[in-house]
Amino acid sequence: MKLKKVLAVALAAATVASSAMCVQAEETISLTLWGAEEDQALLGELVENFKAAFPDQTFDIQIGVESESTAKDTVLTDVEAAADVFAFADDQLSDLVNAGALASLDEVGAALQVAGRTLDDVKSENDEGSVAATMIGDTMYAFPMTGGNTFFLYYDSSIISAEDAASWDTLLAAADGSGKKVGMTLASGWYNASFFYGAGFTTGLNEDQTTSIDWNGTSEAGYTGVDVVKAMLNIAGNSSFMAIADGDISNQLASGGLCAAVSGDWDASAAQSIFGDNYAATKLPTFTIGEDQVQQAPPYGYKFVGVNAYSENAGWAVVLADFLTNEESQATRFAQRGLAPTNLNVQASDEVQANVAIAAAASESEFGVLQRVGGKYWDPSQTFGEMIAQGTLKADDDAAIQEALDSLVEGVTAAVG
Amino acid sequence: MASEKKEGAAAAVGSFFKAIGTFFSDFGTAFARGDAFVKLSALWMGAGYARRKQYVKAVIMTVLEIAVIAFTLQFAMQYVPKFGTLGTVKMEKVFNMETMKSDFNDYDNSFQILLFSLFSFVVWATAIVVWMKNIVNAYRLQQLEEAGKHINTFKEDLHSYIEEKFHITLLTLPVLGVVIFTAIPILLLIFVAFTNYDQQHMPPSELFTWTGFSNFLSLFGGGGLTVTFSYAFVRVLGWTLVWAFFATFTTYIGGILLSLLLNSKNTRLPKMWRTLFIVTIAVPQFVSLLLVRNFFSNGGIVNTICANIGLTGFLRDIGLVSTSYIPFLSAPGWAHVMIILINIWIGVPYQMLIATGVLMNLPADQLESARVDGASKFQIFRKITMPYLLFVTGPALVTDFVKNINNFNVIYLLTQDVYVTTNQAMANSQAKEVDLLVTWLFRLTQEYYNYKMASAIGIIVFIICALFTLVAFNRMIKGDREGTYQ
Repeated sequence: MKLKKVLAVALAAATVASSAMCVQAEETISLTLWGAEEDQALLGELVENFKAAFPDQTFDIQIGVESESTAKDTVLTDVEAAADVFAFADDQLSDLVNAGALASLDEVGAALQVAGRTLDDVKSENDEGSVAATMIGDTMYAFPMTGGNTFFLYYDSSIISAEDAASWDTLLAAADGSGKKVGMTLASGWYNASFFYGAGFTTGLNEDQTTSIDWNGTSEAGYTGVDVVKAMLNIAGNSSFMAIADGDISNQLASGGLCAAVSGDWDASAAQSIFGDNYAATKLPTFTIGEDQVQQAPPYGYKFVGVNAYSENAGWAVVLADFLTNEESQATRFAQRGLAPTNLNVQASDEVQANVAIAAAASESEFGVLQRVGGKYWDPSQTFGEMIAQGTLKADDDAAIQEALDSLVEGVTAAVG
Repeated sequence: MASEKKEGAAAAVGSFFKAIGTFFSDFGTAFARGDAFVKLSALWMGAGYARRKQYVKAVIMTVLEIAVIAFTLQFAMQYVPKFGTLGTVKMEKVFNMETMKSDFNDYDNSFQILLFSLFSFVVWATAIVVWMKNIVNAYRLQQLEEAGKHINTFKEDLHSYIEEKFHITLLTLPVLGVVIFTAIPILLLIFVAFTNYDQQHMPPSELFTWTGFSNFLSLFGGGGLTVTFSYAFVRVLGWTLVWAFFATFTTYIGGILLSLLLNSKNTRLPKMWRTLFIVTIAVPQFVSLLLVRNFFSNGGIVNTICANIGLTGFLRDIGLVSTSYIPFLSAPGWAHVMIILINIWIGVPYQMLIATGVLMNLPADQLESARVDGASKFQIFRKITMPYLLFVTGPALVTDFVKNINNFNVIYLLTQDVYVTTNQAMANSQAKEVDLLVTWLFRLTQEYYNYKMASAIGIIVFIICALFTLVAFNRMIKGDREGTYQ
């Protein structure tokens, strides 16, 4: 008897509590937002703007720290517990979509009408490349936030003239006299792919998450993989060239031994402080295959804001994600963090045009490549780059180079799992 | 002596199974010979206690029974029936513009099914043991009553838990902890090894299911996991064992020598030296390891110094180095040696502390009599100090070896982002020459979400460690050794 009473009371309490929660949910929209450590202050400000833009709705928005480069790992650990809205780098898009972690904007994008906008507005406001990068097939999965996630050439204009910086041959020759070196990371599939992309080779991601790669054959432009490797070996073997480990460029810049370095906008301040008034940045140089000068074509990446497919408040999450990447927010982001915008109007603004590093990155958007590869790409391509950096391969041994390229292709194209 | 000990070990295993047998036969006897209330206890767990007027216990058992039934109906039945397939309903959702929310179907989450089924099994297994024990107890109470003996009141029973049954009170919490934090995760790991839980089958959006022994087949059949898996596996396993051997013995011997030096009467300021060495322990390991990694990296300070004093050039001239830097942590061979050396620096202070403690307790009478007999210092070290140390620290040496097989910190922190393999076959398996099984496993899972293979490798590592520990302990802790030092 007593037990029944206790049960009844407990049940009643539970009902009241749950109905109270339901009522509350209609009033307050709870959202979690993950962004980079450096973006926290900015995000706090943007979220306040967001709340002000929708005064009729109360929000409870929690901002958490999650680097764009590791968002995928954390989100996929437990999708249902991950943030409703999170920022991530474009190379994670396919893994996230494959794991079903990202809401398709074609599906939930209708929620934007709350803000008086449509998905087509988003597509027309941002540059074409960035919008294409958010799509898999015909489906859009994220909002473009920043662009220019690429690398280019920083140089000391007192040693290297703008003409010298146009090709590797002249660049290395100019550096030769100065006693300083030209640095680039070779042991990374992100950096070394730029030589192959430039010569017309491709990588791609198949439906089953395996990677396709054609570097051991002949490219559309008529160059063979062996030609490209030989060109790379000639550069790497030059006494003025310094192969630098991935992530070590800023240290090397700071140590003062470099007169030019291939890196991205994250090293802008390191380069600026060491080169001083002679600080300059430009597109990547061309390299020599036989008689031809071939433009090095770097992967050109973006950072996105995506919505969790399992979000409780998917609709408002979409509205927030859009708000964080609209023209006004991108302008604020550029002003506070100096990150390259994808919004066409912000790109055209005078402030953005005046930034040397962003201008250099932007000049590459026409030949930069959207790098879509699977997980098996990175280790084999890193090793391949290291073999070139250490001179394990010899420029006069075509057979060995071809063999190494074949192993590379075999490893990269291996089945997943 | 040794054979006697072996019999002892066999007897221990035997008596374990005998205890299980006794438990079941007790249960059989109790159920067969018990009166109606004992038999009723099989349905209503409080029956036996209620009949013997142990009402509090009767209520506790009843509540427990209700709780288990409620748990089964409310919780376990959601998951256990799907255990055979690990779920069949894939997630589907439709966005509802009215509510601004997505409407989900009632989808299955394979991982939750696996985990909660496992949890249910553990709960049920415990419940069955309690149920059987309960009937045995009810029968015992019946026997006590028939013999006209005193039956404990609840208070007396409670009291017994801080008196004669104190060990049960003491052990309850640790056993619970072991079950929840160790047994369930290990069982989960074992189960995952028999599924296809990987990047292609990630809950909640995708389902995974049982695949039998296929993961182990591809582990040893070759070609399954990566293009060159068996090639990489053999090399990684080889280095793991070489590393564990050197890491264990270099620090062990180094620690002993260092503590002998510090304990020597000729050493001045021993306390200061000891403190200095212990400072290495005080700094968190990952800080010192990352610092050392940066010192010895290709563009690090050590390389700059070596280049400036001409050492790099000299090594290039004699052909030891082919790069413009010394590849301390970035070429096979160099990196292997460096890792072991750096580990000595990190590991020796610990061993020194242990050895110092043991040395202070050296049997003075033995040393004294050896000295009287005219033994040299080296003889004393070889015949008394060292055997005594080995005897006392032997078991620790075995655990150290096993710990080093799984020494993630040193290897990962020293080589991650610094070591790039130039061996394409290794790279095609996402392995490096300096990887231990455990770091390789970490990368395979963390970067490639390959949980199924990680579990399979985990089981292999576990078997290797278990076998080694068993053999080593059996050899080290033979009974006859003990007598020597008593």
